[in-house]
Amino acid sequence: MAMVVDYKHDSSFPYWTSIRRRFDPDSPFFSSGNLERELLAKQVALDLTEDERNQLEKMIDNDARGVFCPIVGCGARLTSLEDFEDHYIARHTASCSVCSRVYPTSRLLSIHVSEAHDSFFQAKVARGYAMYECLVEGCDLKFKNYKGRQQHLVDKHKFPTSFEFFNKAHPSKKKRLKNQQKRRTHKKDEEASSKMEVENETIDGLVSAVSKLSTSDSSPSNISFGRRNARGLTFVPRSIQAPREKK
Amino acid sequence: MADDSLASHRRDPIKSSVGNVAAQRRRQNAATVGKERRESLVRAKRLCRVGATGEGDVLVEENHMMTDEEGFLLEDQTSSAVKELKSAVVYQGKGAMQKRVNALRELRRLLSKSEFPPVEAALKAGAIPLLVQCLSFGSPDEQLLEAAWCLTNIAAGKPEETKALLPALPLLIAHLGEKSSLPVAEQCAWALGNVAGEGEELRKVLLSQGALPPLARMVLPNKGSTVRTAAWALSNLIKGPDPKAATELIKVDGVLDAILRHLRKSDEELATEVAWVVVYLSALSNFATGVLVKSDALQPLVERLATSNSLQLLIPVLRSLGNLVAGDSHTTSTVLIPGHEITDGVIKVLVKCLKSDHRVLKKEASWVLSNIAAGSIEHKQLIYSSEAVPLLLRLLSTAPFDIRKEVAYVLGNLCVAPATGEGKPDLIKENLVSLVQRGCLSGFIDLVRSADIEAARLGLQFTELVLRGMPNGDGPKLVEQEDGIDAMERYQFHENEDLRNMANGLVDKYFGEDYGVNE
Repeated sequence: MAMVVDYKHDSSFPYWTSIRRRFDPDSPFFSSGNLERELLAKQVALDLTEDERNQLEKMIDNDARGVFCPIVGCGARLTSLEDFEDHYIARHTASCSVCSRVYPTSRLLSIHVSEAHDSFFQAKVARGYAMYECLVEGCDLKFKNYKGRQQHLVDKHKFPTSFEFFNKAHPSKKKRLKNQQKRRTHKKDEEASSKMEVENETIDGLVSAVSKLSTSDSSPSNISFGRRNARGLTFVPRSIQAPREKK
Repeated sequence: MADDSLASHRRDPIKSSVGNVAAQRRRQNAATVGKERRESLVRAKRLCRVGATGEGDVLVEENHMMTDEEGFLLEDQTSSAVKELKSAVVYQGKGAMQKRVNALRELRRLLSKSEFPPVEAALKAGAIPLLVQCLSFGSPDEQLLEAAWCLTNIAAGKPEETKALLPALPLLIAHLGEKSSLPVAEQCAWALGNVAGEGEELRKVLLSQGALPPLARMVLPNKGSTVRTAAWALSNLIKGPDPKAATELIKVDGVLDAILRHLRKSDEELATEVAWVVVYLSALSNFATGVLVKSDALQPLVERLATSNSLQLLIPVLRSLGNLVAGDSHTTSTVLIPGHEITDGVIKVLVKCLKSDHRVLKKEASWVLSNIAAGSIEHKQLIYSSEAVPLLLRLLSTAPFDIRKEVAYVLGNLCVAPATGEGKPDLIKENLVSLVQRGCLSGFIDLVRSADIEAARLGLQFTELVLRGMPNGDGPKLVEQEDGIDAMERYQFHENEDLRNMANGLVDKYFGEDYGVNE
C-alpha cells in the first residue's frame, strides 16, 4: 500500500508532503489493470457485453466491497462512491426551517429545534429540569445545561473538544451582510424592520422574525464556529410558536 | 405418473412435464455459469484451445452455453476416454504407441471443446496418474505433447483442479530442457504457467523443484511462440509476493539482455508478455530494479509507449516505467534529469497516456507523474510547464474517481517543495496560486466530500495549502466560495476521528470568530 508520511507539527495537522508512492504488485491499485490484462489476453473481451464488462470491473474494484456511509449512526451501504453525494443530500441534510442550519439526521435536527427555537424548552431549563439530551443515539442521558452535555460528549463519547452542537451553521457572506443590514435597519426603525422581515404569513415566519429581533445585540453579525455558546432567547409567547413534535 | 415424466424426459427433454423445473435449473445454471465465467475470465490461467503446431478444433463455439444434456454427454465421453487411455497405457502389443496417442488425442479434444472443460469428470476417472505415465522419458513427442496439453487444460480452472497436477510437475519441468522439441517444451511451459498462476503455494513448489532456470532459458531466443508462452509462464512464476524468484531471474545469464532485446525489437505480442515480466521484476525486486535502470531499460519502454497503440502492450510497459520510477529514487535523480532527452521523452509519453481513452492508462500515468512531481523543484517545474497540467486540470473535474485521486496527487505535489525532514514543508506559491486561479479548488473540495478516506484526506490537505498559502489572505474566501466550509463541516458527525480533527482544526483556525467581520 502507499505509504504517506505526514508531519504532525503544530496543532498536529498532517500537512501535504510530496513523496514517492510505491505499490506491491498485488495492491488493489493495480487490479483494474490486471483485470484488463486477463480479459484482453483471453480475446473474449469483444464478446463481452457492456454490462458484463462493468460487472466484472466492479467485482474487482474496491467499490465491490461496498462503501459504507461514514456518518455516525448511518451505516447505509452504497453501491459506489459516486452514490455517496446523492445519499448524503437525501439523508443527511435535514435543515431547520427557522434558522436554516443543517444537520445530518432528523433526530439531531429535532434536538436543535427544541434547544434553539422552543422557549418552552428554555422555560423548563430555567426551572432546573435536565433537558439537554446526549446526542449519541441510545445513550439517553439528559443534562441540565449545554455545557454539561458538552462535557459528557467529550468525556464519555470521545467527541473532539472543539465540537459545538449549536452554532454549527456558517452563514454565507451574502447572508452575513444581509443580517448586518437588518440589524442596522432595526436599530433605526423597529416596527418597519419587523414588517420587512416577515417574508410570509405563516406562523413559522413570524417566529423566525421575532426570534431574530430578540437576539440582536452588538456582537459580530456572523456566528462563529466552535467559539460561542448558545445565546439566550427571550421569551416568545406560545401563541406565536408553532407546535413542534419531537420524534 | 413417474414413468410418464421419465419417458417424456427421454423423448423430448425440453417439452417434458417437468419442463418448468428444467427451465429453472437452466436459469440457475446460467447464474452459476455467469459467475463461473466471470471467475474464469479473471484468472491468470489460460486454456489451450489451439495447439502449438496449429491443430485444434476449428468448429469450437464461443459463448455456447451447454444444456444439461450436453454437459452430461461430455462428462460421459470424458470418463470413457480416460478408460480408453487406461487400457492403452497398459497395452504392450503391436501399435501400442499409436493407441496411446489416439486415446490422448481424444481426451485432449474433449478437454479443449468448451470454455468449461469436463475437468472434474476427467479427474474422477483417474486421468492424472495416466497422464503422468505418458510423460515418462523417452516417450515420443506426439505423446508428450498431447499429455501436456491435457494437463494444461485440467490446470486452467478451479484451484483444486490445478492442485491435482502436483504429481506431474517434476516431469513437466524436466521436459522444458533444451533436448526437448520446441512444441513439447512450449506445451509444458503452458501447463506450468497455469499451475504458477494458481497461487503462492504452488509457485513455491515449482521454484523448489527448479522450474525457473529452464523457463528462463526459453526466453533467450529471438522469436517464436515458445518464447512468448515461456515469458507468460515466467510472469506467473515470479509474481511473488516473495521477491526471491524475481531477483533470481534477473541474475540468470542472458536474461537481462534478452528482456531488453525483446522490448526493443520484438513484435507487440511477445513484447507484451516480456513487459509483464518486467512489471514483476520492478515491483518486487530492488536488485532487479537497480539493474534495469542502470541498463537503460527506460529507453525501450519510452519508445514503446510513444509508438504503440495496443492497450495490451501499453499497460505493462507503462506500469514497468511506473515501478522503476517508484521503486528507486535513482531513477528520478540520476536518469530522469530535467533537460535530458530521456526525461522529455518520458513526460511526452505520459501526456499521451493522459490523452488516451483508457481508464487504466490515465490512472497509472497520473501515478507516475505524481512520483516524478515528488522529485526536485526542477522536476516539478518541468511537469508544471508541460502539456500535462491543462489535461490534469480537466481530468480533476471530469474523470472517474480513481483517476481524480491520482491527479490530485500530481497537482498537490507540484505545490509543495521537497520534504527536508524538518517541520512543515514549504509551499511553492507561484504554482499554488496559478493552479487555484485555473480552477482546481472545486475538484479538491469534491474530494473532501467523498466517502473515501484517502481522497478526503487529500482534499483536506490541499485545502490547508490554499488556506495557508494564498496571498492577501484570499484563501478562506476562495474556500468558502467553493462551499468548502460546508464540506468540512460535514465531518462533525463523521466516524473517522483523524478526518474530523483535520476538518475541525481548519475550520477553527481559518473560519473562527473574526472571519468576515470587517468586510
